[in-house]
Amino acid sequence: MSLKNALQLDRVSKSFDGFKALSDASFTARWGEVHALLGENGAGKSSLMNIAAGLYAPEAGALFIDDNPVRLTGPRDAMRQGIGMVHQHFKLVSPFTVAQNILLSMNQSALRGFYDHKLAKVSQAISQKSEELGFGIDPRTRTDRLSVAEQQRVEILKVLLAGAKILILDEPTAVLTDDESNRLLTTVKALATRGAAVILVTHKMHDVMRYADQVTIMRGGKTVATLAPQSVDLSKLVKLTVGDTDSARSVSEPHIRGAARLVITDLSSAQTTTQASNGVLRGVNLTLHSGEIYGIAGVGGNGQTELANALMGFGAPTCGDMLLDGQTQLQSLTPTERRAQGIAAIPADRYGAALAAPLSVADNYAMGQIHSGRYGSFGWLNSRKIAADTTKAIEAFDVQGVRSIHQKAALLSGGNAQKLVIAREFNHPPAIVFAHSPSRGLDVRAMGAIHARLHAARAAGAAVLLISEDLDEVLALADRIGVMSSGRIVVEFNQPADRQAIGQAMVHHV
Amino acid sequence: MIISSALVFGLLISALILVAAGVSASDLFNEFVLYTLFDGQSLRAVLFQAAPLIVLGLAGALAFRARFWNLGLEGQMIWGAIAATAVSLFEIGPPSLRLVLMFIAAIIGGLMWALVPVLLKLHLKVNEIISTLMLNYIAVNFLLFLLYGSWKDPRDSFPYSPQFKSFERLPNIFDGVNLAIPIALVIALLVLWFTRISRAGLYLRFVDSSPGVAAAVGVPVQRVILLTVLFSGALAGLAGFMVSAGQEERLTHSFYLGYGFSGILIAFLARNQPIAATVVAVLVATLFVGGRSLQVYYQIPFSMVQLIQAILVICVASSDFFIRYRIRRIQSEA
Amino acid sequence: MEIISSWVGNIPDLAVPFALAALGLIVTERAGVLALGAEGLMLVGALFGVGGYLLFDSTGIALLLAMLAASGVSILFAVMVLVLRINQVIAGLALVFFCQGLTALLGILFGWASHPVSGFEAWTLWPLSELPIVGRLFIQNPVVYLTPLIFFAVAIYLNHSMSGLKLRAVGENPQAADAAGIPVLTYRFAAILAGAALIGLAGAYISVLSTKMWIEDMTGGRGWIAVALVIFARWSPWRAFAGAILFGSIEALIPQLAAAGVRLPQYFVFMTPYVVTLAVMIWVALPKRDQNKPDQKNQPDALGEPFIREERR
Repeated sequence: MSLKNALQLDRVSKSFDGFKALSDASFTARWGEVHALLGENGAGKSSLMNIAAGLYAPEAGALFIDDNPVRLTGPRDAMRQGIGMVHQHFKLVSPFTVAQNILLSMNQSALRGFYDHKLAKVSQAISQKSEELGFGIDPRTRTDRLSVAEQQRVEILKVLLAGAKILILDEPTAVLTDDESNRLLTTVKALATRGAAVILVTHKMHDVMRYADQVTIMRGGKTVATLAPQSVDLSKLVKLTVGDTDSARSVSEPHIRGAARLVITDLSSAQTTTQASNGVLRGVNLTLHSGEIYGIAGVGGNGQTELANALMGFGAPTCGDMLLDGQTQLQSLTPTERRAQGIAAIPADRYGAALAAPLSVADNYAMGQIHSGRYGSFGWLNSRKIAADTTKAIEAFDVQGVRSIHQKAALLSGGNAQKLVIAREFNHPPAIVFAHSPSRGLDVRAMGAIHARLHAARAAGAAVLLISEDLDEVLALADRIGVMSSGRIVVEFNQPADRQAIGQAMVHHV
Repeated sequence: MIISSALVFGLLISALILVAAGVSASDLFNEFVLYTLFDGQSLRAVLFQAAPLIVLGLAGALAFRARFWNLGLEGQMIWGAIAATAVSLFEIGPPSLRLVLMFIAAIIGGLMWALVPVLLKLHLKVNEIISTLMLNYIAVNFLLFLLYGSWKDPRDSFPYSPQFKSFERLPNIFDGVNLAIPIALVIALLVLWFTRISRAGLYLRFVDSSPGVAAAVGVPVQRVILLTVLFSGALAGLAGFMVSAGQEERLTHSFYLGYGFSGILIAFLARNQPIAATVVAVLVATLFVGGRSLQVYYQIPFSMVQLIQAILVICVASSDFFIRYRIRRIQSEA
Repeated sequence: MEIISSWVGNIPDLAVPFALAALGLIVTERAGVLALGAEGLMLVGALFGVGGYLLFDSTGIALLLAMLAASGVSILFAVMVLVLRINQVIAGLALVFFCQGLTALLGILFGWASHPVSGFEAWTLWPLSELPIVGRLFIQNPVVYLTPLIFFAVAIYLNHSMSGLKLRAVGENPQAADAAGIPVLTYRFAAILAGAALIGLAGAYISVLSTKMWIEDMTGGRGWIAVALVIFARWSPWRAFAGAILFGSIEALIPQLAAAGVRLPQYFVFMTPYVVTLAVMIWVALPKRDQNKPDQKNQPDALGEPFIREERR
């Protein structure tokens, strides 16, 4: 086959706030092909494609379209060059109809006549294209009444009707059910067959194996290989994606698994209004014992956030059981009562659910024990004791960058803010720990410190539930690993677990 | 630093407007700076004026800290004054306790009028800006109903209640300054205690900075908002008592004019800090006193005072932008 | 019979200011800007309407000047919320207080207070004016007849023009609008000015055509009622029109009841519009069974949120 190059990125580099997101990444997509860009979260896939779509300007490297060098000034310029990107977060004006949304993003001068006339014209074009692709989209429907899959089709129609020949889809199947995914990818493949260049950004091996003509694998901001997926087997792809690091456990001391503390049975979201598979719980079952770390692995958006919120006591209502020590329903406890039960919560959203950014380190710390009466009665806050405790805690938990305990929590770096959360939650040895992505965005040292805390809690007999999208973290910490997919735990592994097997369980729905 | 330059800038604009309105620059200086600040009598007038303003500023600061736009200070003030006057008119309690009873009645009156919008907000999410403002108009009309009706002083035709008896007025502590000022200072300390020293203060800081985080870490958000807004309403009611029992010595049809807005302004300029609110209230009182003499000697309408206050708010609010801008620059340079 | 007919005849005069002010608010708020300043802008319109009449002796010029003055003052608000990104609630309140002080001051300084103006002659639409009961609806000043036309024009603009579509996109999802190449801040700026012109006209209607005189603080909370009316109308022009008629009818009823000999305490009667507003706000807030009924146009998604472009690196 002698397919012509459509889009080429040559040794592109880009860094954000000193963090090197891309270093010398190269990538070539050809006309008539579906080209997958594969990699784990944070491998640099989205950054690379945002450069191709004109959103970011590269620091080094070059971009070619049809082998001609091009400099993009912005997304609209990229659109003019025929590059259209469908982002993970849709840019639809929700109460508008499909036709109105697409009309907004079209080049106005290309259409003549009054508004109603333009709208009719666009509607006609939408119906035609939708039929051609088998999308079944009615241009008169309001976009907020469409399912996620349908909204995605609208976004695709939007870029196609605007004249895109090079179509970039950023994690298009992350929000879709299997059926929807297959339907979408079949359509996309048909588009390529008719001559377009399609780039599929994904971390799902399955999609790559079945639908891509070429795959480029990214890891740590670099493009590590480009090959035809049919020429290799799945395990090779997995290995290339997650790296060669052996799954040797760093854990040393043996531990004794204790009694069951928390038994979760059939935990489901109270209402499942949409058909979309993401963001709901569909019957989670698991048992958490004291003296163990139970790790939940999985691709983001499979219900982990909802599970974490249910455990920590905020978010949408759930049905099913979360039985604490065989007697107390966890759902019925307020955050304060949970704390009194020795439950420590480390939410993923540090400044959205754990720390008040504009308040002082001391204020944030004091909330941990305020209800116990340790810091005085209702009328009197013992600020001296708070100050002493805070000072002691930031020392004990190695929270750095605190010039004064009265400085705002917002001024702490991510790692130190997280250490402050842990200092507060662990001020009494906790009996149960819920940690959601506790080391997200932290550097290696801070991550190590936080992992050591979780280990220490387990050694002291705590029951630790760790939810993380970072497989390395789960592998390094957990004694047992449950893989979460489509809102339930689909399989459990005991350590030592096979990394490849977990990786496959994460991407293959059972 | 930027805030004080914003204040100075706002005052300069106001001075320019006054000069344009026909007050000569030297008169302005004499009137405001020399006369108001260095004349004993007018200094006493300023303190006299400052007392209710301090309490209203604190009332505003409390509500805003609970993220509640209490624009109903005026209505709560009116109900406080009505309740206090009722105690006087119906001669409730022995004379020796009358003033204390009026004090308590005023607090309850203001509190009740704040209870309505806060419950509507907490239970039905009714926008408190509209509800508190509507309740103001309702309170004003009720006040007029009383004063043009059964509460009118039978001795003349003005819409005033009969004068309070001597034991129903706030006593002077020294010439020209009555008990209102020490009460206001005690209230300031009380608010300081509430916001800084009590546990409610810690809760309130969490509610103010982020209701989501507050709920997640175990702050009883709804109860804190309810308590704080009721406190705010109680203080506004008390301010109504101070103006009627301390200054006008009767219930009048216009005693509240200009106060509601000033309370909001003071809270805003003081960034909801109790001590700062006390200081700003004294400055605003100076503006009130100066404004009255401008009204008398230059026929400048008293609304000038409101205009100046609004200009100050706009200047200080705008200065936030420059503060943010400077922080960004410092951060990007670092 | 006579009472009903004169009641009906008085409704337009009282409904038009609510209607025009609410329409101005809708234009601004549909672009995502929370417009709490209506009370102040109405006062500016009311003062400059009378001023314009006294200066130029022409009602038409007076109304134009009122609209221009309100738009001019709203530039201050636009700069506060769009450029300096001040909290839109604070900026709106500051605008009201500023306008209250300014108009009270200027009314006296320019000597525009308490001078009667004559306004427009009523136009009689014969033969409609001869109809029983509703006949007096057709003996009104020209602005009354113009108001439904303005509503029609604005409704067409919002729902059937390219520019209107963009304006609404800016109010619903400014990030998406920006991605589609719509100049978000320009649209918001224009929406603030245009809305202010309508609100100014509403104010001038009260002073020039209704009361026929400038009195300090004469709008008496009608601007705030209009804000509530917009919430009640769920940001739809025609529902706001209906709501304005409802409020106008209630206000118009007051003198009729007195004329009919119903003895009501005067000040309780004066409270009615505010009590009704409060009741309406509560009614709107009550949980509804048909919450997800199709075609309910609720609050613009981005109302009150400043637009900050996602940083492009």
